[in-house]
Amino acid sequence: MGSEPTTLLQGTLDLLILKSLVAAEMHGLGISRRIQLITGGTFVVKPGSLFPALHRMEEEGWISSYWGDSENNRRAKFYRLTKPGRKQLEAETKRWGRISLAIAQALQAS
Amino acid sequence: MPLFTKAGSFLRNIFFPNHGEADLNHEVQSHLQLLTDENIRAGMPAKEAHRAACIELGGAEQVKEQVREIQIGNWLRSVLSDFRYGFRQLRKNPGFTAVAVLTLALGIAVNATMFSLVSAFMLRHPPGRDPKRVAVVTSINPGNGFLPEANPVSIPNFLAWREANQVSADIAAADQYRSVHLTPVSQSTAGQPQAIRSAAVSPNYFSVLGVSPEFGRTFNDQEIQPGRDRVVILSHELWERQFASDASLIGRAIRLNRENYTVIGVMPSSFHLTGFTPQLWTPLEVTTQTANARKDRSLLLFARLKPGVTIEQARAEFSALARRAEQDFPEIEKGWGAAVRTFPDFLLYNFGIRNGLAVVMTTVAFVLLIACANVAGLLLARAAGRRKELAIRLALGAGGLRIIRQLLTENLLIAFLGGALGLLLAYWGIAFVRANMNFNEAMSAVPLSLDSNVLLFALAASTLCALLCGLAPALNASRTDVNNNLKEEGRSSSSSHSHSRLRTTMVTCQIALALFLLVGTGLLFRGIFMIEHQNLGFRADHLLTANVVLDAARYKDSIQQSLFVRNLLPQLTQLPGVEAVAATSDLPAAGPGAVTFRIQGQSEVPANQQLTASDNVVSSDFFPTAGIPLLRGRAFTEQDTALTPRVIVVNQEFVNRHFHDQNPLGKQIQLNVSGTASQWSEIVGVVGNVKTYSEGIIDDPQVYEPFLQRPISSFSLMLRTGSEPSALASPLRTAVAQLDAELPLGNVMSMSALIDRQKGGNPFFVRVLASFAFLALILAGIGIYGLIAYSVGQRTHEIAIRMALGAKRPDVLRMILRDGMKMTAIGAAVGLALALPLPKVFDAIFYGLHLREPRLYFLVPVTILIVALLATYIPARRASRVDPMSALHQD
Repeated sequence: MGSEPTTLLQGTLDLLILKSLVAAEMHGLGISRRIQLITGGTFVVKPGSLFPALHRMEEEGWISSYWGDSENNRRAKFYRLTKPGRKQLEAETKRWGRISLAIAQALQAS
Repeated sequence: MPLFTKAGSFLRNIFFPNHGEADLNHEVQSHLQLLTDENIRAGMPAKEAHRAACIELGGAEQVKEQVREIQIGNWLRSVLSDFRYGFRQLRKNPGFTAVAVLTLALGIAVNATMFSLVSAFMLRHPPGRDPKRVAVVTSINPGNGFLPEANPVSIPNFLAWREANQVSADIAAADQYRSVHLTPVSQSTAGQPQAIRSAAVSPNYFSVLGVSPEFGRTFNDQEIQPGRDRVVILSHELWERQFASDASLIGRAIRLNRENYTVIGVMPSSFHLTGFTPQLWTPLEVTTQTANARKDRSLLLFARLKPGVTIEQARAEFSALARRAEQDFPEIEKGWGAAVRTFPDFLLYNFGIRNGLAVVMTTVAFVLLIACANVAGLLLARAAGRRKELAIRLALGAGGLRIIRQLLTENLLIAFLGGALGLLLAYWGIAFVRANMNFNEAMSAVPLSLDSNVLLFALAASTLCALLCGLAPALNASRTDVNNNLKEEGRSSSSSHSHSRLRTTMVTCQIALALFLLVGTGLLFRGIFMIEHQNLGFRADHLLTANVVLDAARYKDSIQQSLFVRNLLPQLTQLPGVEAVAATSDLPAAGPGAVTFRIQGQSEVPANQQLTASDNVVSSDFFPTAGIPLLRGRAFTEQDTALTPRVIVVNQEFVNRHFHDQNPLGKQIQLNVSGTASQWSEIVGVVGNVKTYSEGIIDDPQVYEPFLQRPISSFSLMLRTGSEPSALASPLRTAVAQLDAELPLGNVMSMSALIDRQKGGNPFFVRVLASFAFLALILAGIGIYGLIAYSVGQRTHEIAIRMALGAKRPDVLRMILRDGMKMTAIGAAVGLALALPLPKVFDAIFYGLHLREPRLYFLVPVTILIVALLATYIPARRASRVDPMSALHQD
């Protein structure tokens, strides 16, 4: 997990958070670990980036939060995907597909 | 739906920040707990696990701050919290707050007060529709003189230009400077007849300007014809004052110039042109096409420009028309051009106040700069004291920008408090200026008030102050190095270098500005003093004066005018207490008109190089009555009449300029008087010089002609009295009324009162400027005091060490004083260099005075040095009282 994780593309973090919440409702640390897992350790999200993103997305209405108990019975704030959040995920996924395709083409061309 | 969610979040964030805060706090704590748990499960000892979790979290407060920053409404919330914090800071430091707010308040108050003048003169629109599309056409006088480009236009030129020009569909003309006699409707009630300022205007005058009457109507085109032209429109003020706001006056007759005029309208009180004060309007008669009509320039032309025509095009058009007139009538029109200005521009130019306003505004801007420099100095001093506080805030995750913003918010608070207090002071300031600006009708008619322009100006000035005062300290503070400042423990032996250099520069500039202002004001004072105490060339004491205008209705020709004066003067001489009586076209030193002339034997010269002299027509006893000494030859006598050879008396300056050492007596000169045929006159006497203006110092060549040889309809009476002149005002009125009950006397007042009035605003404005300069000196003194006191405070440690090492009290005192004096000396030198060219500038204002006041260049720096010495001495003495032991133990 070298220096790469720090340079997350704008919008990528949102996409990863939304994606990781599809599987289950999770607290902040869970989301962070989930992203680490599904990206094969490429992205490590620090609390300083994670919490502002979560709060922003909650204000956008893409996710909602509630207080619950963690796996080892600690009080923790859990986040879950809302309906607009699922739509946003679809839109973001499509957009990302287009972007990655375009970038890949561009790189092959040269 | 998302919009709704957002709005909800916004409101929650603004109004219930605490709820969100607690939640956020719990969340971060729980995150930390989860991380710790994770580390423990990975096999770390509890303490180690917590430490690693803290490192991964990266600081709870910073994370929270980052979340707060992205929250909706964060900006507003943080601004509010900045303001709250700022208020707390200001309350904690009442002394600092009071000094800073008061300093800025003074600066803003003087600026706002003076800006009300700018607003009244330059930012008010003239009345009427789209005044910028009205061009005012005037003649350019080739002989220069006062406001050469505001000379009126003759009737023939008006008629020709109205027909020929292509730029305007409609041109109106107005003779703004007339006077009529108003006889009260019923003799019993209102008493004396009055001379009223009036204007004669072409029927389309009001429609060209685009103004409508409050009651009644304006003139129609038929009302210029003789027989139908006895109609009048009143100003709101006159209607109110003289006719008790009687609405039934429309259609009724009032008595003007011994004739009945029908009132057809009343203009609203908003119809007022800066600098012009007619109280009523009558139709302008344009039928007088005599040979002399071209010389009689009396009309201002108002041209409503056709759509799409620019003011430049209009200027070119009327210049071309003026050139055509010059070609057609070279005798009279030679050198005369046409000037075109927009209506607002013309009013400003015509008032001739632009330069005065510029001087005053520059002065007050200096005062404000000095005030800002003071407050900036205070802020820098405080910033140094707050370094630790700021370092803590930076360490807790506040961004550098956020710190700058917070400090600027504090400065804005100070500046707006200062601005509010300043406006309050300006409210009184404006009332004071208004009460003092009554030296003439046009001035007192200027609508001075704390209007929206002044409010906006004060707001802008306050904001500017906040930026000026605050930017340097704020930038300085945001560069604060967290580690150094938390460690430093205030043990610095002297404040950081860049700080002290900035403050030294500011104080030096303050001193330079204060010195410059003081020298300038000193020169102005000296100039005015010299003018007030000069010998005017005549005896102004014990003289009663009054203006008479003989109306054409009763005094049709020069014979009747002569007759009236011949009858009146002996009667006035009979009044008890009167020693001598004279009639004169112009009172001495009251700015007489000028006349061009030729000396017999000299060749013709072009129009713009013709000789000019002040022109006076006086009755035979004028010289003894005024107390003007006869130097050579003889004065006029009763025997110099229309039937005897024409004679003339000149003054000494005239002889000096035109006859050098020759004997002027017996020489012939020819005055170029409009409306009369040119005739040669013989110089029979030479009298002493009289100042052309009592408020100036110029001796112009003067010529005097006997009244009986050149009777005039408008003149002044002078009565030399044995006692208090105003006591004779009522006998004078009675004597005149016995000859003509309907003839008003204008401005019945003593000569000395008249001279006071002529000085107009000068003494007042000098007083105002002087108080500004004084304010600047005080502020600069406070600035020096603040700086030295601060640096002494900073150097307590160093001073203690010096004293512990054997320095004596006087040594310390001397060291501090030397620092203060060094700054003062540099500032004073810069200020002196700036002030050196000032006398040259003032030469243009006090023409011929040659103000050279070397003493001033010594006195002002000495004053500044004394103030600076005092301001330095107090903190220096405190420094020398430092007890080394306790000072060194302090930390």
